Amino acid sequence: MTVIEIDNLQKEFEIKQKAPGLRGSVQAIFRPVKRRVMAVSGISFALDPGEMLAFIGPNGAGKSTTIKMLTGILFPTSGSATVLGFNPWRERRRMAYQIGSVFGQKPQLWYHLPAADTFQLFARIYELEETPFRRRLAFLIEAFQIEDLLQIPVRKLSLGQRMKCEIAASLLHGPRVIFLDEPTIGLDVVAKQQIREAIRTLNAEENTTIFLTSHDAGDIESLCKRVIIINHGRLIFDDRTSVLKRQYLRRKVIDVRFGEALNGPFHLPGVQTLKQGTYGVKLAFDTEELSVDQVIQQIMSGRAFNDINIQDPPLEEIIREIYQE
Amino acid sequence: MSQTTAQTTGHVMGYRLRQKLAKYGAITAINFQNQLAYIWDTLNRSLFIIFIMFIFAQLWQAVYATRTAPEIAGLTLPGIIWYLLVAEMMELGKFRHDLKISEEVKDGSIAYTLVRPYHYLAYHFFNGLGETIVRMALVFGLGLPVVLYYAGRPDLELWQLPPILLVVLGAMLIDFCVLSTIGLLAFFTEDTASFRMIYQKFVFVIGGLMFPIDFLPDWLQWIARLLPFHLTTYAPARLFVDFSWTQFNHFLLLQLVWLGILGTILWVQYRSAARRLAVNGG
Repeated sequence: MTVIEIDNLQKEFEIKQKAPGLRGSVQAIFRPVKRRVMAVSGISFALDPGEMLAFIGPNGAGKSTTIKMLTGILFPTSGSATVLGFNPWRERRRMAYQIGSVFGQKPQLWYHLPAADTFQLFARIYELEETPFRRRLAFLIEAFQIEDLLQIPVRKLSLGQRMKCEIAASLLHGPRVIFLDEPTIGLDVVAKQQIREAIRTLNAEENTTIFLTSHDAGDIESLCKRVIIINHGRLIFDDRTSVLKRQYLRRKVIDVRFGEALNGPFHLPGVQTLKQGTYGVKLAFDTEELSVDQVIQQIMSGRAFNDINIQDPPLEEIIREIYQE
Repeated sequence: MSQTTAQTTGHVMGYRLRQKLAKYGAITAINFQNQLAYIWDTLNRSLFIIFIMFIFAQLWQAVYATRTAPEIAGLTLPGIIWYLLVAEMMELGKFRHDLKISEEVKDGSIAYTLVRPYHYLAYHFFNGLGETIVRMALVFGLGLPVVLYYAGRPDLELWQLPPILLVVLGAMLIDFCVLSTIGLLAFFTEDTASFRMIYQKFVFVIGGLMFPIDFLPDWLQWIARLLPFHLTTYAPARLFVDFSWTQFNHFLLLQLVWLGILGTILWVQYRSAARRLAVNGG
């Protein structure tokens, strides 16, 4: 059984346009100029239970629009979708008990009250029994490490602390699918790590399906095995994260520190020298032309080095490369 | 066997009902708690009532002093002072549903509030109720000493309170329908504040907030009684100072009729808004 199935989903918006200035404003009243924008133009894919999908693309690619259609707050222009067997926009309320959503840029916790109060409210809204609710809460407190935060008014929490509570709130009712829209935006490294860890735990222990959009390559690499990239409302990549890396990850960067000072400019055939210092160089090469082995052997020949570091380019660069094509 | 089935069905229905009550009760409770969390702000905003009641009492004392008859349009001086307190309580206790809904539409947080398992409109009514209860109690409590000083105890029996509260509830529901309809306009227009201004001005003049609509010229009074505005303010206030079952039945029936009309408009508006929902922000 698939958890999410999307078939040729389309969403077209009508945007009223206004020429600048007062004249434009007056014109817009009497003769509004409307422009049609295809936010999502015919995407199809399916997601299995327990899959963790990274759904990425540049701003305005149609990511949020897709999430909004899948959570049932937007009607599509055409096409079909099912989430857990429900038609999202016709059976929104029944589906609501089984899905969860987190919008990193929109708060849901009551700002002046402790998070525990919002949690209580959600327990009632999702009609949770007291005992399962307590058990669930204990699990989430543990997973997100929010024991000490629950009794503090939300306005007094740091952004990272608040986001952990925000996400936990969306998971109280034990959703089988979670839509995470930029959950780690603006957070520091530690908070990001904790949130990723908690999401991984949830997926491992409850086989929760994760639908993640993020601009953070770290989120994608550390969480998701599968990546879908959309651009201008179209699906441009749908494969394993490793395939994405292999296809667009031909460039390697090597950092070398030598035991003794270099004399003269450092050069190897087929290898680009990015930076050269007294004791070290930063090199880049294409793995299609040279193997890692060949390059390292050339570096080693006749020289002693203290340290060597081989890196993949960050996912951001890969994404940029796909967009440029 | 059918009896057991019926019993079970009854049992399940009772359980479902309790769950729904707990759900909407919790929605009311959280905004109630939220108001208490910064009670001093709410209190400061409500202090205004002391000044208004003081000024109103002075003003109407002066008006009644010029008259030989103790009543104007059936209201005595203490009567009108009590009337104004209740009318102000209705107005100042109002929850800004229009603002709440249009903000949700504009900042996109409707993406959260719309995907939870409750009815969106019911959520907003019960959410507003939690705040209204606190604000009404504060306005009434703060205005009370002034009114007691100028007007003495109200001419009211304890048993009259439940039917009055019923009309208060009807008033809140009508207000909710109008304000939510205005709030949902955010799906169609940029700014909804002007619509609320117009509504408020109607309540001020022909809804009985400034003075009871009995004081209006006959033709205007006739129009005022035809429109729903007086049911949000005048009806509960008038009933409070001058209770009669005839009045009560009249107001309640009118409220039900208008709730039917305004409720239908809100419902149609909500359906069409949901159809063309375009959530702002990414």
